[in-house]
Amino acid sequence: MNQQRLRRLRKNLLIFLAVLGPGIITANVDNDAGGILTYSQAGASYGFSLLWTLIPITIALIVVQEMVARMGVVTGKGLADLIREEYGFRATFILMGLLLAANFSNTVAEFAGLASGMSVLGVSRYIVVPLGAALVWGLVVRGTYRVVEKVFLVACLFYIAYPLSCFLAHPNWAEALRRTVVPSFHFDYQYLYMLIGVVGTTIAPWMQFYQQASTVEKGIKVKDLKYSRWDVIVGCTITDAVAFFIIVACAATIYASGHRDIHSGADAALALRPLAGRAAGALFAFGLCNASLFAASILPLATAYYVCEGLGLESGLDKRLPEAPAFYSLYTGLIFLGALTVLFLSEAKQISIILLSQVANGVLLPLVLIYMLRLINRPDLMGAHCNSRFFNYVAWITCVVMIVLTVFLTVTSFFPQPSPRVGPARQGPSREAFVEDFLCAARFLASSARSTH
Amino acid sequence: MIYFTELQNLSTYDVKGDYLGQLQDLCVDPSQNGLRVASLLVRTPKKTVLCITHEQIQSVSVRAAQTSVPKEEVRCYAPDEGLLHIKKDVLDQQIIDVNHRKVVRVNDVDLDIVPTDGHTELRILAVNVGWAAAIHRLLQGLVAKHRIRMIAGLFPSKNIPWEFVNLIEPDPARRVKLRLTYDRVAEMHPADIADILEELSRDEQKAVIESLDEETAAQALSEIPTRMQVDLLESINPEKAAGIVEEMPPDEAADVLQELPPETSAELLNDMEKEGAEEVRELLAFEENTAGALMTTEYLMVGEAATVEGAIAAVRHFEGAPESIQAVYLVDMTGRLTGAVPLARILLAEAGAPLKELSFDPVISIQSHEDDKAVIDLFHKYNLMSLPVVDEKGHLLGVVTADDVLELVVKRR
Repeated sequence: MNQQRLRRLRKNLLIFLAVLGPGIITANVDNDAGGILTYSQAGASYGFSLLWTLIPITIALIVVQEMVARMGVVTGKGLADLIREEYGFRATFILMGLLLAANFSNTVAEFAGLASGMSVLGVSRYIVVPLGAALVWGLVVRGTYRVVEKVFLVACLFYIAYPLSCFLAHPNWAEALRRTVVPSFHFDYQYLYMLIGVVGTTIAPWMQFYQQASTVEKGIKVKDLKYSRWDVIVGCTITDAVAFFIIVACAATIYASGHRDIHSGADAALALRPLAGRAAGALFAFGLCNASLFAASILPLATAYYVCEGLGLESGLDKRLPEAPAFYSLYTGLIFLGALTVLFLSEAKQISIILLSQVANGVLLPLVLIYMLRLINRPDLMGAHCNSRFFNYVAWITCVVMIVLTVFLTVTSFFPQPSPRVGPARQGPSREAFVEDFLCAARFLASSARSTH
Repeated sequence: MIYFTELQNLSTYDVKGDYLGQLQDLCVDPSQNGLRVASLLVRTPKKTVLCITHEQIQSVSVRAAQTSVPKEEVRCYAPDEGLLHIKKDVLDQQIIDVNHRKVVRVNDVDLDIVPTDGHTELRILAVNVGWAAAIHRLLQGLVAKHRIRMIAGLFPSKNIPWEFVNLIEPDPARRVKLRLTYDRVAEMHPADIADILEELSRDEQKAVIESLDEETAAQALSEIPTRMQVDLLESINPEKAAGIVEEMPPDEAADVLQELPPETSAELLNDMEKEGAEEVRELLAFEENTAGALMTTEYLMVGEAATVEGAIAAVRHFEGAPESIQAVYLVDMTGRLTGAVPLARILLAEAGAPLKELSFDPVISIQSHEDDKAVIDLFHKYNLMSLPVVDEKGHLLGVVTADDVLELVVKRR
């Protein structure tokens, strides 16, 4: 009897490992440069007071990602394909345009993250960024991408540095856990920006396209749906566990030191000092560069795929350039324009590009969520795997909250920020830049530019 | 010529000039005429849908459509699975373009307006997959139609004549109703069919494989990745699956069966013809990544005393795929491999010459338990096209052919 249970467990575990992947990879790419920096900033500026957002964010992320994984398994088609087939060319064209804009900004942010990471070690961005771009482009075009993906994934073990650093810094764990469970809220613009930044960096529109496509590519069968669900749950939990430890580590070190503002990668690296001492900078640089390169090797490629598939253009690395010109131009263009933006545009222009595409992200996410919810409730597509009524409630609430937040973020990003009331958690100078806090990537772009001059 | 997009939401009037509604979709009835639009579906302001049959169409243009009968005679539309709906079933869907051997997505449908005795007929000419059609879709309703035509004219147009279009319908019953066959797809090279399969979703792959004959399906299936083979064979009806596996070369069949869940593969083996199943079972006994697992049991073997004449007769009676024969193998009374004669040497020799004299010397062979790498090395070193596999005592078990080795090398790269 016991042995039988053991055998069943073993079999389940094997299937789980075979199905494992899309969710966990998506989640790890989600912790990209923007993610690490936003969480660091959240912990550094506000201590534990943003920790409570992580539980609702995790639930929302799981709900959203589980739906796309399910759609991928049941229909065997990508999200862009489904939207095209059910909502026509124009809707797809607009969505793909926004996705392109949003992911261009993400790519810019990845290269900015790379520059910022290496600047901690004193390496110029004029060396790092072109090298990084060439590396990413070459890896994928040379077809060694699958191997490289595993290397990046293993390198993600770097995140263990944060919990370790946390334990060595002896934060007030009881307080941290209390603040995780008990929500607190300040009506303070800076705080709201930061909150939206944390939500926005964790739930991004590219993730739905990516997760569904890789679920389809993996060929997961309907009978293995429950394992795929666990893959999503594990992946999302990892993402937010990493976020939790980054915030706690930064709270225990940077926030506790009273300095509380991150202006460069070197500042953010302070969070790792309890663990790594003088090597904290190098460790942080390694982690940030890995995260940036991992995301930079996936985002542009994935974007080129969805845009081409949605619009019915030839795509795929197995095709040659003359066969799939749009695919290769999009892919190459995203990488090289992204790198060039970080290299040659002034800070202000970089910020306005990122700002623009942050708006694209903001407009795109509600659209994607609404299309998703409509598609997944179609019995002709999903059969018995439509959302249950309860799940629909949860999904729509998630959706509405995300829409309210992103609309708020998008609208406010157009208006100059009113002079911030210095909240209890907030010190340090308020700068003139009108988008100071809502997007950390923008700030790091600026800081990496400053530190290399 | 007119685009379907230009007809969408077209105002439709009856013979007296009374407004009926907006054109919503066009239907084709493949059981009557696969090229003619059989009816126009019109959505009335009251949200009901009217069905204007082809005899009732007076005129159609980019500005308006008019019926030849008063509105009392126009019936309501009753949903019919047997009709092909241009908007619902064709527009934005993936189709197989047999001419260019690839899967494409439909941007628009080109139609011809043909006046025929007293009324107007719409005929389907082609599906459009180019940028010009994309511009039409994008701007329709936002810019005047003639302007759109002007702008779209600046972009390349690419269309696929309707006769080369193969729609993909996952529902088998509907496939029958719509009279969809894949005869033209079946005429393509199996490797091209395989490429097309790889671009489709699981249900669509199933649709194509189910409608191909077993031999073509087996050839195409042999060219796609094993994981996909497994998924497909599991999802289609077991009888058809067994038939397909039976047609596959024994080594390919063994590879797939190895990956299938044990119950499924046992079921397929039971459904297969005895002889074929036996061959595959033998291959399944070899460990993965060995010469034994790589080899096929479809090869040509004659007694070592045979002459050229005898060998040629054996070639003529060979049951497997003739192009797989590279050489004729000689065995002694106990089945031990004693020689290998390339086909070309047999062709050039006298009819009465003993085969033994034409054999390679020494005969290169490999033991069944040796690994893949040893096989690749031998092929590379001796420039082989095929390599006999033997057991410890030298009995001939099977043959590894160059195509399988090439696949192995590509996979390892």
